[in-house]
Amino acid sequence: MIYSIEVNALSVYAGKTRLMGPISFNLSNGGTLVIMGETGAGKSLIAQAILGTLPNTLHAKGQITVNGRRVDQMRQSARRRMWGTVIATLPQEPWRALDPLMRAFRQVSEAHHYVGGKKRSLANADTAKAFETLGLTGAEKQLPNTLSGGMAQRVAFAAATAGNAPILLADEPTKGLDAERHTKVVELLAKVPKEGGTLIAITHDVSVTRRLAGEVIVLRDGALVEQGKAIDVLANPTSSYTQSLIDADPKNWPQSEKQSDLAEKRDVVLTVENLAVARSGKRLFEGFDLTLRAGERVALVGPSGIGKTTLLDAMAGLIKPEAGTVTRAQSQSRHTVQKLYQDPPAAFPARIALKHVLKDVARLHKTDWSSVLTTLEKLGIHPSLLDRKPDEVSGGELQRISIARALTVGPKVLLADEPTSRLDPITQRDTLNMLETMAAAENFAVVLVTHDRQIANKWADRTIILT
Amino acid sequence: MTDQTPHLTHSEARSAKPRFGFAQLTGFALLAVLAIGALGGPSLIGQDPAKQSLLSTFESPSRSHLLGTDNLGRDMAARLLSGAQLSLSLALLSVITAGLPGTLLGVIAAWRGGWTDRLIGAFSDAVLALPGLLLVLMLAAISPGSWWALYAGISLTLWVEYFRYTRQRARVVLSEPAVEASRLLGLSPWVLLRRHLIPEIGPGLLTLAAFGAATAVTSVAALGFVSVGLRPPTAEWGVMMTELLPYWREAPFLILQPVLCLIVTVLALHLSVGGARRP
Amino acid sequence: MTSALMKTVFAALAKRALQALIVAVVVGIVSFAMMQALPGDAAYRIAAGRYGYDMMDAAAADAVRLELGLDQPAILQLWIWLKALAQFDLGTSLVYGTPVIDEISTQLGYSLLLAGGAIVASLLIALPVGIAAGLNPNGIVDRVTFGLSVLFRAIPAFALGIVLVLIFAVQLGLFPVAGFHGPENLVLPSLTLGLGLAAVSNRVLRDSVVDAMRADWRLFSRTKGLSARLTLTRHVLRNAALPVVAYIGVQLAYLIEGVVIVETVFAWPGIGHALVHAIFGRDIAMVQGTALTLGLLYVALNLCVDLACRGIDPRGRLA
Repeated sequence: MIYSIEVNALSVYAGKTRLMGPISFNLSNGGTLVIMGETGAGKSLIAQAILGTLPNTLHAKGQITVNGRRVDQMRQSARRRMWGTVIATLPQEPWRALDPLMRAFRQVSEAHHYVGGKKRSLANADTAKAFETLGLTGAEKQLPNTLSGGMAQRVAFAAATAGNAPILLADEPTKGLDAERHTKVVELLAKVPKEGGTLIAITHDVSVTRRLAGEVIVLRDGALVEQGKAIDVLANPTSSYTQSLIDADPKNWPQSEKQSDLAEKRDVVLTVENLAVARSGKRLFEGFDLTLRAGERVALVGPSGIGKTTLLDAMAGLIKPEAGTVTRAQSQSRHTVQKLYQDPPAAFPARIALKHVLKDVARLHKTDWSSVLTTLEKLGIHPSLLDRKPDEVSGGELQRISIARALTVGPKVLLADEPTSRLDPITQRDTLNMLETMAAAENFAVVLVTHDRQIANKWADRTIILT
Repeated sequence: MTDQTPHLTHSEARSAKPRFGFAQLTGFALLAVLAIGALGGPSLIGQDPAKQSLLSTFESPSRSHLLGTDNLGRDMAARLLSGAQLSLSLALLSVITAGLPGTLLGVIAAWRGGWTDRLIGAFSDAVLALPGLLLVLMLAAISPGSWWALYAGISLTLWVEYFRYTRQRARVVLSEPAVEASRLLGLSPWVLLRRHLIPEIGPGLLTLAAFGAATAVTSVAALGFVSVGLRPPTAEWGVMMTELLPYWREAPFLILQPVLCLIVTVLALHLSVGGARRP
Repeated sequence: MTSALMKTVFAALAKRALQALIVAVVVGIVSFAMMQALPGDAAYRIAAGRYGYDMMDAAAADAVRLELGLDQPAILQLWIWLKALAQFDLGTSLVYGTPVIDEISTQLGYSLLLAGGAIVASLLIALPVGIAAGLNPNGIVDRVTFGLSVLFRAIPAFALGIVLVLIFAVQLGLFPVAGFHGPENLVLPSLTLGLGLAAVSNRVLRDSVVDAMRADWRLFSRTKGLSARLTLTRHVLRNAALPVVAYIGVQLAYLIEGVVIVETVFAWPGIGHALVHAIFGRDIAMVQGTALTLGLLYVALNLCVDLACRGIDPRGRLA
């Protein structure tokens, strides 16, 4: 059997340090390989080694054979000639992979023309066809900055596959997409092997692996953890790391206890009545009601752009609602409503050690420094981290520090705006677990904004769906 | 609570870069030398920059005249030091006069927004409608040869840079989630300034100040050179260049002295901010 | 032309028209202030300028006083002054006795020639240097040109002018020292200004080339199958040009300032030289006329840069 792509003992080195590998796999036409692992596991290095786009400071060892030709022994120029015609690449951040100054249609048609070798008229016709198939009709004249993340991903897909390459490399194709668009992109990828192509997808998302099926490779810190058929690996993982990745998929989370009898036992901390919000003059929704009780966990679910963040801002009193009221319980000071942010580094002053930030808050609210340290300890943060600046700690650590910062005030309501969407799955689950524990212990309510219904269902006492 | 953070990786500490590069240290050293020269002035070498001696013109450097004498027999070293005093004091003063209100107005405009912002912005646009030196030139022409006119003109054109930079940066910083979070936490405007704004715009302001000082020194010399700034017999570098240019053949090293002083001063100011570009 | 394009073009025109108005008012007010600050009787001075010192007497001065409203309060005089300006009446040169507008129209050509020469010289230097440095960041070319850029940026235009004159004209005798007698006169002043412009713009170009080469969209253009040449011509050049063209707008102030000073250094018969001369000779009508022309030239060049940026960048942002 001739394998369309065959990788034997591939490793990537920085000088003498091995960053990734060794890994081996064979894929024939119609095959799918999913490479799974968290940030920093070295997944992208595999794609770069196959393509020949490793940075100059790194080098690969091992054999890579594509359609019977030893790619790793080819000259760089010969490898580059395979791009687009033999191997297509779906970039990690499609929005940044499109030329910001060229309209969507031309970015695809130029690939049909120059790479596919078609005449202009045929290239344009094929591009128009692709736009129609991908549901991009109407976006032809748009520039990348006006495309949504999902649209940009599809334009990039159309451009990447214009050369009819049999092999598609997709690096984190679902990054930053909401649930609906996530599904659409995965469906698009699943078509590739069905039509006889070969798909290599890189992801940290177990649900993507499950839907694409095929072979799977699990990487951790550059080392191979597990390899096999996706169905088998997902059903019976042999390594505990794979197991924890699977467990971190919100679908597999244990159901948190639903607190259903809050109405009798707990005080109301925040009441929202008939709220309407608008952004830049456009009304997003109206007639929103919510009664929050102490210790309650509420999830707000809805697609991107529906106004979840604006709603939170109105609840926090940061913006004036268009209509309706937000009322805090009378005994509360105005600082008892606090917020967690999607991008943790952006929520801290960039050039100041974290210690100063926390101390400022503790001093203002007359909170004992030792009690702040206790909270940090409960959240698994070592005090030595506080000497660093926000960009010197990991996203997960920073999000937990921001939880600690909010708790210093003694909040009654914590508004969490997609606080884990930029974190790896395991970190995401751990962070939300801690939030749940803290909410129960300190008796504050949490409003969690998310686009993932699974998370909402498993984690929250109740879910409000915005449409 | 389930398993306690087994997977939460701790980030590595970053390797610290040296705080100042070689270029920057060179800049500091040169500035220190210039500052000593400017503070001490001609009295450092005990010579009078204005004292003429028609018997000893175009003298080569010697014990009594360290850098020689000019066409009127005046001591070059004393004149250069006097020029340094004049240029650097004017530069320092105009940077302060321009920098403080410029920065303050920038913060106010970004903080208040609305009409305050538009009003100050319109004023700054009006100042910028003409190239800076052209405005200084015309203002200096109202009162020819006056130090005050130069100082006022330079300050008036320089403040806009601080204003624009501060306003633009402050707008970005103030709209960040970090500031929103601090406000929600109840932190005072003073804390917002100290923790968010100053660390963010401080380095840029220092760079602006260095460039502004360089612009001031250059402008004074340029106007002096084309005879519309300070007037002879003032010992000012640009004026000295005009005076000495005709004697290039007889005494080439004389004209080069003020030229080099000017270049070294500007270079020192640029290097002191690491050879960066204007923000 | 799409409506979005029209909109940004109109916005640029409106912005620059307002700027031109501000230039006129500022120049008018400052010239007026200069007039007021002059010692002695303005009417006598103007009359002397018009008719020559021999032909001038008290009656002529009175006629001028009446005509120009010099006996009226200052604020009214300012109004009359600005009204004359609004009617493009720039008056008569006190020194030459000719209409200012005639003087300026001959000088403008020379100044434009010098400005054009300076821009060409700066591009001839900055384009190859910036691209070479940007294609190999931290390489030998990059480091050397960085050092040279810092050095040349620190040399004020007139000081550089002096040095170039001393070396190339006086010592080597390759080019004429001053004045304008032929194209060879253009070399040194253009080079003086061009070096100053290129000292900064080559670094801007270098940075934008580095950014473009590292950009995700460049790699994607390659991996979707476009050759290096096609990627360069279809994507990289356009994207790299944008910050450079926008930066030319920033450099225009340097260019206009440089024209004033460098023309004086080289006795170039342009507007800048005339302005400095007029200030020195207290010829206020000429000061006003030349400053106004330079200011408007600055506005016009800025408008060109605005439109060029709009042409490159379809997103409809103005520089």
